Amino acid sequence: MTKPLRFLLASFQPAPLRRLGLPDVAILCLMGGVIATVVAFLREFEAPLRQAVQIDLRPTALVRYTLYSLTRGVLALLVSYGFALVFGWTAARSRAAERLLLPLLDILQSIPVLGFLPGFVLGLMALFPTRNVGLELAAILMIFTAQAWNLALSFYNSLKSIPEPLRDACRIAGWGPARTFRQCELPAAAQGLVWNGMLSMAGGWFFLMVNEAFRLGDRDYRLPGVGSYMSVALDQGNVSAMVLAIVAMTVMIVCVDQLLWRPLVVWVEKFRLDETTGGDSAASSWVLDFLRRARLPRRVAVFRRRAYRTARRATRSLEGPLRAATPVILRGPRVAFEHPVARRLARALLVAAIAAGAAAGLWQIGRLLGQLGWAEWRQLVSSAALTFFRVMGAVLLATAWALPAGVVIGRSPRLARALQPVIQVVASFPAPMLFPVVVLLFERIGVGLGLGAVALMVLAGQWYVLFNVISAVAAIPEQLKDAATVFRLPTVARWRTLYLPAAFPALVTGWVTAAGGAWNGSIVAEYIEAGGGLRETKGLGSLISEATAHANFPLLAGGIALMSLVVVGWNRVVWRSLMVWAQTRFGYGT
Amino acid sequence: MTADTLLLEARHVTQRFRLPNGQVLEALRDVSLAVREHEVVALVGPSGCGKSTLLRLFAGLARPADGTVLYRGHTLDGVLGAAAMVFQSFALLPWLTVAQNVAMGLEARGVHGPAQRDAVARAINLVGLDGFEQAYPKELSGGMKQRVGFARALAVAPEILLMDEPFGALDPLTAENLRSQVVDLWRDPATGVNTLVVVTHSVEEAVFLAGRIVVFGSNPGHVREELKNSLPYPRRERSPEFETMVDRLHAILTATLLPEPEALPAPQRLVPFPRVHVAEVAGLLDHLATRPDGRGPVFELAEDLGVDYDRMTAVVRGAEQLGWVATPGEMVQLTPAGRDVLAGDDAARKAATRARLKHHPLFARVITMLQEETEEIEEGAGKADVADEELLADLTIYFPFIPADSLFATIIEWGRYAELLDHDAAAGRLRLLGG
Repeated sequence: MTKPLRFLLASFQPAPLRRLGLPDVAILCLMGGVIATVVAFLREFEAPLRQAVQIDLRPTALVRYTLYSLTRGVLALLVSYGFALVFGWTAARSRAAERLLLPLLDILQSIPVLGFLPGFVLGLMALFPTRNVGLELAAILMIFTAQAWNLALSFYNSLKSIPEPLRDACRIAGWGPARTFRQCELPAAAQGLVWNGMLSMAGGWFFLMVNEAFRLGDRDYRLPGVGSYMSVALDQGNVSAMVLAIVAMTVMIVCVDQLLWRPLVVWVEKFRLDETTGGDSAASSWVLDFLRRARLPRRVAVFRRRAYRTARRATRSLEGPLRAATPVILRGPRVAFEHPVARRLARALLVAAIAAGAAAGLWQIGRLLGQLGWAEWRQLVSSAALTFFRVMGAVLLATAWALPAGVVIGRSPRLARALQPVIQVVASFPAPMLFPVVVLLFERIGVGLGLGAVALMVLAGQWYVLFNVISAVAAIPEQLKDAATVFRLPTVARWRTLYLPAAFPALVTGWVTAAGGAWNGSIVAEYIEAGGGLRETKGLGSLISEATAHANFPLLAGGIALMSLVVVGWNRVVWRSLMVWAQTRFGYGT
Repeated sequence: MTADTLLLEARHVTQRFRLPNGQVLEALRDVSLAVREHEVVALVGPSGCGKSTLLRLFAGLARPADGTVLYRGHTLDGVLGAAAMVFQSFALLPWLTVAQNVAMGLEARGVHGPAQRDAVARAINLVGLDGFEQAYPKELSGGMKQRVGFARALAVAPEILLMDEPFGALDPLTAENLRSQVVDLWRDPATGVNTLVVVTHSVEEAVFLAGRIVVFGSNPGHVREELKNSLPYPRRERSPEFETMVDRLHAILTATLLPEPEALPAPQRLVPFPRVHVAEVAGLLDHLATRPDGRGPVFELAEDLGVDYDRMTAVVRGAEQLGWVATPGEMVQLTPAGRDVLAGDDAARKAATRARLKHHPLFARVITMLQEETEEIEEGAGKADVADEELLADLTIYFPFIPADSLFATIIEWGRYAELLDHDAAAGRLRLLGG
């Protein structure tokens, strides 16, 4: 039965493979570009360490810098994905790990990671004293800390929401953990991973300027990139270079969105678990359509299959002995792992290691904090209070414009579809790059940084509010809207009884993230170098920046610890109870 | 039925689960059941009686808390390779094609390459899905999806086929068609399947398929009774022997689900109120009134009203506790009190319900609890209320095997309807209305 079939295939296959078209050329060009960028970047990696790399402000150099920054972001994202997979899988698998890891994640994602930069830089520099690697790794690690947490949480949640029968089916089929991971868990999580990857990428750009143009005390650790380009342009007051950097950043974000995320989002639709809501997914990607016309992948697949077959044939003589050996090789460790005593021992060792690590960390921090006097603590607390009010002000201001705007956009599917991509790109733009420009503008009209910082923090947090409100309003059941129309609710009543309550739970979620963004933003918003001068205003953020600039580690540790404490405490006490209340009062329930 | 080799055996199996609210639910208590070679066993009983739990234990998907599960005399350790399973929700991977889904279990059993392709083609052919090999599950109807589920199970030529309400999610027409095919598959030696264990909700299905029917009772799950069914295959659903068998099973199930009045607990003992809605009980009374003499057998009522017997018996038990119906045997009879309720208008119905609930042991307990609260704060405004948590805690103590929050919701619904209780969900407090 297979013979005529194969004959058919043989006469059928070569036709579409004969010629390569425009899409294939595009793929080849893109691959060439990626390889060139990676090679250039690796050379950068290997370059000897220099103090204060000279940044070339010519526009031609900017292309290279932008690609460097992009490579850092992509590498960090890859690391983040790796972390998310390991973390999510472990937390979903073991209840003990779950109890430890989830609160840890909650804390990690709400504390200001920027404060750890000096530690990372110094530690990694000590590891690679002569090469650039340490500095590059520190920058990538910093971007990673802004990307990883939501990915890990998303993967964990996806794993947890795989229906029980589906898991049973995999086990009945005799799938091991590796196969289940590849064919069941990863596909089930694919959608969440892509969407969150998009968010993570945007979040990773936030501190780009600080990461690439990092100063500690009198030392200047600068890396070539679009962020450091911008910071040099700012130092020199070179307006055209500033504009160029902003344009380069925007072009990069749009390109990544169009070439990477759009196609991925459309492609990943096929991994949807629930079949109910697939009708209105009119999302399309011209890049994906274009690539689907390419013949190269098919040709590569044929080559790969052929190569695989040849390899199989070549290794056939080895297969016998290997098959005899694999049970021993594979089962040996398995038996060891599944032995109760071994497991208990491993668990005890793990717990001991974690406890030791935690104790060592606590001791280190305690030693640093011990050096702080009363006066410094007083200063820390009063600045924290000041920054706290700024954060709340920023959240209020962001809500004031984003809530109405979100409702207006969300209730009209057409408007939402038209604006969503634009907003996504705008929101991906790292707000800190705009800070100096905004501050200079404020100075013109006579607003000091004390108030100006609030506006900057709005820039850092507003999008979260907007996105959450849009998606909540867009998700209002059609029949509720119909009911409002049928009963001719006046506009005010419609907002009061339908849109605002429906948006409220999402609004709270937006507030949590917006406040987090504002706290993070305070570090760069309250302490700004622009136009050759330094502007700062009293606050916890400026205290942290200043401690970094003067390499005052005890004060830095105190500032970070205090900020973490305030953010985590506020999350736990206020935001969480508000969230629970919003869910029970205004959620649709079941 | 020759050598009667024991294939699967559960010995004194107990299984417990921890609910999210911390309550421990005993799904099975001391269950022993043996499945012999070339047998079709049906597990029936009300929902929550642990029959699906037992099926998962047989499959080796879970380990019992106490007792052992044996396959051919050896204790089961891990997933049972000799078994395949069909799920109510189909459990197909949406990103794999029909052929890939069917091939799921083959690789682990060492079937590769051409042999795998053959096995998949044969299984797809057996269930009549030829031509759909490259389709994705979302392109198929429910019946087609379950065919894929069967093909996936048959592809591995399992000795035992475990089925967890395989036709539960299908429309009646499709279910009937697929059901007779399952019997054919079992009788066909080419498939390799020689033993079936099926969990089902439908009495007809059990009688149609099984040679032995095991009736489970609930709270906690246990085996109530076993019924042998030696009707020759293929069975015809309209034959008198089949109907007799169905009636016998009905009678056994009724005895399990609706105990005779003398078996009812003494009035002072607390009985949980079944989790039924006001409208359901009213609907039952309305329906009974349209029947001659206001009576009918439970299973006929269930069929006429289009609900499964499990739900129906819960509603009947609710109406019985309120004294509006009596249940001699498997008959449900509208009582004079029930007729009075029907005759009255809405206010009269509420009043009658209120009067009845005040004498229902469980509601009486709740009312007493609230009244005690009133006496304690007599000087106050007299608005006694109790926090939800207090009542929930009490309910957990009274009825450890019933999820307290759903019972709580039922109490609130009936209390509100009868204008006895008021509940403030925002504050999480319960209040007594009127006097």
